[in-house]
Amino acid sequence: MSGVDLSLERLLFNLNTLAELGEEITSPKDFTRVVKSSLYMVMGTFSASKGIVFQYDQSDGLFTQIASKGLLDVRGAGLKISKDAATAIIRNNKPIDLKSADPVIAHLGPGREFLERLGARVLAFLIVKDELLGLIAMSDKFSGEDYTLYDYQLLSVMAQHISFSLHSHTLLMRLMYRYNENKGLYENLRRIYYDTIHAFAAAIDAKDAYTKGHSHRVSSYSAAVAREMGWTADDIEGIRISGLLHDIGKIAVDKSIINKASPLTSNECKELNSHPVIGYEILSRIKFPWKGIPMMTRNHHEKVDGSGYPDRLKKNDIPLGARIMALVDAFDAMTTDRPYRPRLSFKEAIDEVKDHYNRQFDPEVVRPFISVIRKEVLAEVENPTIVPLMHEHLDPVTLSRILDGFPR
Amino acid sequence: MAGRHKHRETGTSVVIYADNYINDIEGEKLEEMCDAFLEKGFKKIVIDFSGTDLVNSIGVSILIGIIEKIKGKGAVVFSGLKDVNFQIFHIVGLTRHIRVYNNEEDALKEGACADGASL
Repeated sequence: MSGVDLSLERLLFNLNTLAELGEEITSPKDFTRVVKSSLYMVMGTFSASKGIVFQYDQSDGLFTQIASKGLLDVRGAGLKISKDAATAIIRNNKPIDLKSADPVIAHLGPGREFLERLGARVLAFLIVKDELLGLIAMSDKFSGEDYTLYDYQLLSVMAQHISFSLHSHTLLMRLMYRYNENKGLYENLRRIYYDTIHAFAAAIDAKDAYTKGHSHRVSSYSAAVAREMGWTADDIEGIRISGLLHDIGKIAVDKSIINKASPLTSNECKELNSHPVIGYEILSRIKFPWKGIPMMTRNHHEKVDGSGYPDRLKKNDIPLGARIMALVDAFDAMTTDRPYRPRLSFKEAIDEVKDHYNRQFDPEVVRPFISVIRKEVLAEVENPTIVPLMHEHLDPVTLSRILDGFPR
Repeated sequence: MAGRHKHRETGTSVVIYADNYINDIEGEKLEEMCDAFLEKGFKKIVIDFSGTDLVNSIGVSILIGIIEKIKGKGAVVFSGLKDVNFQIFHIVGLTRHIRVYNNEEDALKEGACADGASL
């Protein structure tokens, strides 16, 4: 290395390059382009005719080319170093002359020959926070001059700049990889989760020949009412899941009781009425991402006047979700065939709701329920959920007549 | 011909205007242009810098690439360099390999010109 002999023009040129390099590595340009521009800047600064940038992968010790200039195609050609070599390089952390006796060169092993074949003379390793990220290799100067001590200092600064860019990119790539991996896992998990819940709902409904699809209807009706009441998307999802599982306790109830056409004995009645508590016990052991599912299941047979079961809770003591489910559960039971009676017409079901208004059903829930039906009949909602499942045509005039006298 | 650089053909010579495109990696197209002109039989390529404010390190790198690429194939000369650019070319060693003229007319007038090997 020769001594430092700098003209004012040289200093100005270098200063300008450093400013441009700083601007380049912080620019939002495509990473490949940033690396390529950075390499050209380094090469232009030292008037090197050949140069290459490698990215280092510490998992396999391999250097992969990410930009080059003035070289023949070097794709496929490999440069690999051991962990010890990487440690020595990090410890050394300064540019090296491949023709010197620098002890780091010995660590490169066959890599040295590979780099010499490429025409490399100077190496600047890209290191951030004791992590080896890559390498810039450059040929002799085009001018024939030797690299000076100042050149090595300048190259060290430029390599540091480029290291930060490579580091940010590496972090971003790792983050993206993790994000995509987690996203994939989460979606997978979510799908399995929903599939399991739907399978459960189907299994519950299969116990009762008459209630096919009941859980799905309670689920979508509840969600429609909750949406009308302005619940958050997350809470709506919770009540949707709760609707699918609200009868899960029936798994423990004898099938003959569920499907019995004649009136139940008091023991049979007791067994059937135990399903909310059994359901609660099953579901309270599951860590749901939504709150309130076990309690909504437990209290979906409560009545606002306190005459329901199992806890005989009154109005505001009953979770709001359970009050919604109590209404839509009863409504679906009324509008579908049962072992002990054929289904009621829409008018008859609404009359029942009217009759039990503020006794069995909470007015705060009945009002949005009626509002959803009205909007669906008036085609004010994009995806109607309740009206299409009624077995009769409902037009605005008929509906208005049916709802006549309904407390507002 | 590919490339954003303006050019002017005159006899067996061609003048390419580097402008400020030379300072971006896109400026590398100049290398292909020079190569293609020489392939087509042009004897002399004048790269004119009268529209170039300040050649940066990317520009220097691209110009070195051109000199390396056309080595022995034909002649490339520079013209219209502003003082600051001449100084830069001088410190990075380009002027040792390329003949430099005040303007493109002078560059085109000169009969004998050559690449690095004959200088």
